[in-house]
This record gives sequence, C-alpha cells and structure tokens, in this order.
Amino acid sequence: MGLELKIDNLVKRFGTREIFRIEQLHVQEGQSLHLKGENGVGKTTLMKIMAGLEKPCSGNVSVTPNHRRWWSDRLHPDVIYLHQTPYVFMSNVVDNVAYGLKLRKGNRHDVKNKVQQALAWARLEHLAEQPAYSLSGGERQRLALARAWILAPRLLFLDEPTANLDRRSVSTVAELVGQLLEQGTTIMVSSHQSNTVTELCNRHLQLEDGALHEVESLTQVKRYA
Amino acid sequence: MEMSLLDTCIDAIRLLFSGNTELWSIIWVSFCVSMTAILISAVPAIFVGFLLAMVDFPGRWMVIALFNALMAIPTVVVGLTLYLLLSRSGPFGELHLLFSQPAMVIGQVLLCFPVLVCMSHAAFQGIDRRAWETARTLGAHCGRAALTIACEARFSLLGAMLAGFSRIISEVGCSMMVGGNILGYTRNIPTAIALETSKGEFSQGVALGLVLLMLALVLNFTLASVRGKGQLI
Ligand SMILES: Nc1ncnc2c1ncn2[C@@H]1O[C@H](COP(=O)(O)OP(=O)(O)OP(=O)(O)O)[C@@H](O)[C@H]1O
Ligand SMILES: [Mg+2]
Repeated sequence: MGLELKIDNLVKRFGTREIFRIEQLHVQEGQSLHLKGENGVGKTTLMKIMAGLEKPCSGNVSVTPNHRRWWSDRLHPDVIYLHQTPYVFMSNVVDNVAYGLKLRKGNRHDVKNKVQQALAWARLEHLAEQPAYSLSGGERQRLALARAWILAPRLLFLDEPTANLDRRSVSTVAELVGQLLEQGTTIMVSSHQSNTVTELCNRHLQLEDGALHEVESLTQVKRYA
Repeated sequence: MEMSLLDTCIDAIRLLFSGNTELWSIIWVSFCVSMTAILISAVPAIFVGFLLAMVDFPGRWMVIALFNALMAIPTVVVGLTLYLLLSRSGPFGELHLLFSQPAMVIGQVLLCFPVLVCMSHAAFQGIDRRAWETARTLGAHCGRAALTIACEARFSLLGAMLAGFSRIISEVGCSMMVGGNILGYTRNIPTAIALETSKGEFSQGVALGLVLLMLALVLNFTLASVRGKGQLI
C-alpha cells in the first residue's frame, strides 16, 4: 500500500502568536513537493510537525500505513527529517552514518556493507574515518543524506538542503535527491527560493501569512516571490 | 618535642610506604563510602539533570534554583539533619543506622546529589536540541535518544561526577556527625585528619592529605587526558 500523508486543520502557535493554520494537505507516495516561503513563516516548524518531532496545537497529521508497534514510542519508521543545518554526532563519519541502522539491530556485517554503500553513494568514502565535526557544510549535508538513505525512508523532509552551499555542492545535493526520487522516495524540500533541487519537484506549495496554498507551476511560485 | 615541618613530611611518607594497616584501613573506608555514594547517586541525578534540561514543566526554574541552593549547604548542616533523623529518638531511629557506614553513605549521597544534578543539567544544556531530534528521527526511542545525548555530553558528565566525588571524598562535617569516627569502620580520611591534628599527631594527617592530593591529581589528569588536550575554541 502506498504511503500517504494527510493534514487536517493543523494549527501551530508559539505562545499567543499563531504561526500557521492549514486546513488540508494530502501527499501521496512518489510525489515530490517544494515548500516555499519567506524566512520565519514556519517552514521548519511545519516540517518538524509532519515528521512527528514537534506537536501541533490542534489538528492532526497522519502518515499511513504505520507499522510502528502500539507500545513503541518511536516515530514513524519510514519518515525522516533532515535539519536545515545537520547535526553531527561526536564521532567519526562512519559511526554517524551507521547510527540509525545500528538501532534497527541489523547484523554487524550487513551494517558495515550498508555503510560502505551509503558512503559511496554520498561520495564520502575518503572522509570515512574523519571526526564528523571537522566536515565542511556541504560534506555535512551529504553526511545527513547518507545517514537517511541508509534507512531507506519512504518520506523524506529536507529543510533547506542547499542553504549556505556553493553551486557545485548544490548540484551534488540535487543529484543525490534526484536519485532518491528515482528510487521512489517521497520528498518535501523547503526553501525560500527556487533552485536546482526544488526544480526536481512536481508539486509546489507556498506558505504565506499562516496559510498554505498550492501553486500550479514554477512560474507561479516566481510570481508570488 | 616539636617536630619540624620537614620531619613531619618525611615521617608521613615513611608511614605511607610502611604498610601501616591503620592508615590504609582509613583510606579504604573513605574510598568505599564515597564510591558507593557516587555510584548510587550518579544515574538518578544525571536523569534529573536530563529532565531539567529537556522537559518543560511549570516550576522548572524553581527546581533548578533549589538544587543550586542545596549545592551550597554546609556539610555539617546535612550531617546535623541526618543525625536528628537517625538518632534513637528520631523518625528513623528504629533502623539503628547512626554511627555506621550506611549512614555515612546516605549523608554523602545527599551531599553529592545536588552537585551532580546541577552539573549534569549544565552539561545537557550545552547539547544542541538537534541532537535529540536527529536521534529521534533516525528511529531512536526516547530512552535510546537520551542515551545518545548523554553520550554526546560524556566529558561534561564525567566532569560532573568528578566534582561530586570531590565534594564528598574531602568532607568532614557530615561523616563526623553520622559516622562517629570509629577506627576501622567509620573513620575516613577527612575525619582522621581532623582527629590526628587535634591530638597534635601531624604525620598521619599529612600522609592522608597526600593521599587526597594524589587522588585529586590522578582523577583530574585522567579526565583531562580522555577529554583530549583541551581544544581551543
Ligand atoms: N521554539 C520556539 N519558540 C517560539 N517561537 C518559535 C520557536 N520556534 C520557532 N519559532 C517562531 O516561529 C516562526 C517560524 O519559525 P521557523 O523556523 O519554522 O521558520 P522558517 O520558515 O523555517 O524560517 P527560515 O526560512 O528562516 O528557516 C518564527 O517566527 C520563529 O521565531
Ligand atoms: Mg527553517
């Protein structure tokens, strides 16, 4: 069964300030969405809510099917959120990439193979043994992608994956995201402007004045901007 | 006859290396009691520090302020309170714990708990919230994510344990009051130093002081070396 995300009357406030109010959103497996909005409209907040990392004030988000066991306090196992500036754990690159897989109790040999594949995929092999904090911004972004890729997520939230990257890194990230899309991953990318990554998307959403509208095409997004 | 300072020190070192059983039993008592106290308090105190850093609840800042205040309580006051509770007429007099090692352990747990809470709270505050979110989104359940955060803060947490240990290994007031300074049972390094000094027997006091100094040096150098050579910011 295809993965589906549905939002119903979602409201988020910080204190008394209402950030947004979203009546409906329906995302189906295989779609790629671009979430556009100015700084501070709540893109990060919205994505974290959809990924289960933050609680809405009212309304709900459902991602179905959910194979999480009823007693478990884990988040949806097929959904991953990548931070605007990725956090790297205080260890080397390999351990960072292996983190999620080790949690799923794969056998050690498989984990090692998978990590090698993920590093190759994100072109990080030459940095495998380096402490992760020494990585540059672009490398960290790729590390975050590899760390997610290894878990084969079906729904991936990328929060401004290209902020602070130079053009070459942007095109590398775009290429990796393109491959994820080809593998059938559903992706939502946020950004405040269009770029190579958001051009891969087939749906465009604009978050503005606390409401979410669908816009038909890129040109329309540009007109909004 | 007055001994010179140098003679005292030489005597102290001789005492340490002569296998004086009395001296080593005192050191052993100190070590056992304080290690037990720190092992009992570490996990719950670090957990409280974690909750104070991660979970928002009404009155959180008051709890933090309270633990900060408790950290500054003189050890004799804790000793006195515990004495009143454990003495024969006190509410826990039935347990017959006064003047025993368990009483000393309880006292030291009370003394190091607030230190551990405050310092581990500070350690967790130094960790980015994104660490928690990253662990969670990659599939960690809450307990595992908490462990990951503790692992990220490992050096600061070790520092917290060291600070807690320093507070109790060298405290006189509480151990004296609830331990009773019984040789071979509840006489530990600080209470022995206080007693010997009051009797004018300085060399044993100096010998025990040297042990404490060595211990402090070893622990701190160990921590410094696992932490790395002190990265520049
Ligand atoms: N924990 C919080 N407490 C109070 N206000 C918050 C909190 N987190 C976010 N906000 C506010 O909510 C609004 C939306 O923040 P958010 O980070 O979601 O914006 P954004 O669209 O991602 O912006 P950017 O493009 O700069 O990343 C901001 O005005 C911010 O100040
Ligand atoms: Mg943002």
